[in-house]
Amino acid sequence: MANSPLVARPTDALQPSKPLPSSSGGTPSGGLPRSARGQRIAAEARPTMDLMEQMNEDEKNKYIKGKKLGEGTYANVYLGHSCLDASVKVAIKKIKVQKEYQDGIAPDAIREMKYLQKLRGHANIIILHSVFSSKDQNLNLVLEYLPLGDLEMLIRDVDHVRYGAADIKAWMGMLTRAVWWCHDNYVLHRDIKPNNLLIAADGEVKLADFGLARSFADPGVRMTANVITRWYRPPELLFGARHYSGAVDIWSVGLVFAELIIRAPYLPGNSEVEQIALICREIGTPTEENWPGVTQLKEYTVPSDVTPVAGKDKYMGRFGAVGSDGVDLLAKTLILDPRRRITAREMLEHRWWKADPKPTPKYDLPKKTAGAEEKAAADLKRRNGMAEDDDVRGSKVARKLDFGAAR
Amino acid sequence: MASEDARYRETSQFEAWSFSPSQLAAMREKTNSLARQRITERILSSASNPLAPASNNTSHANTPDPSGNGTPNPNENGAPTLPDFLKPEEEALLISFYTSELLRAADHLGVPDEVRATATVFFRRFFLTNSIMTYPPQEMILVALFVGSKAEGRFPRVVEFQQRFNTKQDILAGEFLLAQGNRFNFEVRHPFRALMGAMMELRSYGDIDEQRIQAAEKRAHEILLSSPLMTDAYFHYTPSQIMFAALSLADRGLAERLIQETFHFVPPTTNSDSTPAATPLPGSDSLGTARKEGGGKGTMTNDERAAIIGTGIRDKVMGTIEACRNMLSSELPERKSHWTSESIFKSQIRPVRKKLLKCRDPDRWNLSELQRQRREQGLRREDSEERAAASNGNKDAAIFGGDLPAGAPEKKRRKVGGNGLEDPFGDPL
Repeated sequence: MANSPLVARPTDALQPSKPLPSSSGGTPSGGLPRSARGQRIAAEARPTMDLMEQMNEDEKNKYIKGKKLGEGTYANVYLGHSCLDASVKVAIKKIKVQKEYQDGIAPDAIREMKYLQKLRGHANIIILHSVFSSKDQNLNLVLEYLPLGDLEMLIRDVDHVRYGAADIKAWMGMLTRAVWWCHDNYVLHRDIKPNNLLIAADGEVKLADFGLARSFADPGVRMTANVITRWYRPPELLFGARHYSGAVDIWSVGLVFAELIIRAPYLPGNSEVEQIALICREIGTPTEENWPGVTQLKEYTVPSDVTPVAGKDKYMGRFGAVGSDGVDLLAKTLILDPRRRITAREMLEHRWWKADPKPTPKYDLPKKTAGAEEKAAADLKRRNGMAEDDDVRGSKVARKLDFGAAR
Repeated sequence: MASEDARYRETSQFEAWSFSPSQLAAMREKTNSLARQRITERILSSASNPLAPASNNTSHANTPDPSGNGTPNPNENGAPTLPDFLKPEEEALLISFYTSELLRAADHLGVPDEVRATATVFFRRFFLTNSIMTYPPQEMILVALFVGSKAEGRFPRVVEFQQRFNTKQDILAGEFLLAQGNRFNFEVRHPFRALMGAMMELRSYGDIDEQRIQAAEKRAHEILLSSPLMTDAYFHYTPSQIMFAALSLADRGLAERLIQETFHFVPPTTNSDSTPAATPLPGSDSLGTARKEGGGKGTMTNDERAAIIGTGIRDKVMGTIEACRNMLSSELPERKSHWTSESIFKSQIRPVRKKLLKCRDPDRWNLSELQRQRREQGLRREDSEERAAASNGNKDAAIFGGDLPAGAPEKKRRKVGGNGLEDPFGDPL
């Protein structure tokens, strides 16, 4: 019933057909009927354009492309800025035609465009300003420019970056709000991890990389279990569940939380089997008692020695830096049974946010500047949903997406 | 947290793709006249030798036949005669015909409702700013189905499509065009979930016969799969309005009941101490919930309530739904037989199609060739850009520590691609 569009009473039931004339009027006057004089010249300089081509050109001309920030096999990233306001910096991600995908525009590019358009307007989601095509029919995504690297950089740079519970609370707050926004718009991100959390110039954390995202499935529609980078993948996916919910993202949020605290990946399994073993050892063995129905999942296998579900004491020992309330929240994100796992909304209502210390204001959050731009570009040009150097990360997300989802 | 209505107003469907009837007509007019102009230019420039005087060229380019009847425009210098162009209403007729063809193709593929509807919307949006004289509608049907599948999270193989339709059409040649013509807005909102919600709501009243609900749902669903797609409903109405209109066609009583129950609020005539009867019970409860979810602060005044769920609004809503209902009723599912009828085809469609074949764009109609040219053009430009930027690039390298080894990840990627073959992007459609 929660999904029923009728539940939320309309605030304004009348939808006056009121399009934005500027964006859609379809009458860009520039370049259209040209005067007889000079047409010859104009036509040579710029072949006559159709309405559609003109609109694309207008979109493209809103931005000035600057230096190349990075080059990858999936995309090149350029720095750019708005024509109207040079202080509005953008990252232009030019997606290359991919050799191994023979069927046109790649799925991850489609998903990224679709979901960033759908989710726009939230402070903690990377902004997709525009999309245009260049002459050679390559896609150009104009993204918000986020120069300060990503959370992974900060977590790893133990020598130079110091941060505390108040900073973690600020970062977690921004991440949780981003995930809440996704779920409230019926979108699953399916690849939450520290290097998909980019940092804006003002310290704001932005969730990026929607190359694996999808809308919530209608009841009965199967989804692929092969998503989310392994270290952040929840047990239901490791067990091959084909029906799942926002709870999969919440598990990843929990592991980012844990990683922020201990400054190392909490469950860095080298294989799926090892990942399950780690979960069983650290969090507890999923059983019918703590997760009714789990043994019915297709790929349910657990080590024979059953570990009881970790109590708060166990978590306090390792994650106590965020206080008792923080540990309580962490434990709730790592509940094995996805139906009982905390939701994004419930997370936002948790008492930890109100407990001391207060979250650090975003401007005062620890930052790393050296190499951040490079890293940010590297994050963007990475193929969506995939770490560029799998061996180093030791945690690739499977690309074997089940695009067809059985019906 | 914004209401669903407020969120809908943030969507590209509302912002970029909703129009009043007059706006829509104006756009189509414009697209038609632009196409005449461009095609005229292209025909003349491809026929005339490169030394042909410019004045000759421009005089025609800027004088599209204003009468709209496309009388041949004989050239005093002996250049080719211009074809008889399609009028906007002829374009509209063919677009309707090809839309019905698209729906038939969707039936043939057996795609999910969302794919069918998204593909149709893509198709109709594309031909809002592009004339069917410029790009071939027949080929764009498969392109729309292909891109529509992708937008709905299913990623078919091109060869699969070619096999299913027994065609060699280069579907990818039109993919980018279609995406661009849709301004890369891949999200289309549909009325199907709204219908499910309405059925749940009707059942929750508890006093409606289940068989009646099921019959209404079945018919409304059938209408949704055809009528809004064959008409301009998506350009004018929201998904929920379309749903209500379809439900109203299926069972007017049920649609009105839902609207009555939703917009039930009658402000108390005296003061706030009026009898509880002034505020109908079933609504006040759900309103409270909605308000909490809506994150609104404090309690709503009666005026505010009336503005949202009052009877005044109800009448407006009903008016809108009635208008949408009228639009849908012009293309009820049964009208399919009209579009597939041999005699209609012969008498109405074929003559216009013949006309179309004579006035199509010489440069754009062949999608594969067009794509090849664009790619070449782009690459040439790209090369010169890269060369120009080379010096800058070196500077970047100095700052950022050299170029990334492009070769190594490339290799790995191929490996991944190879593995991917085991699972060629999911089940067949």
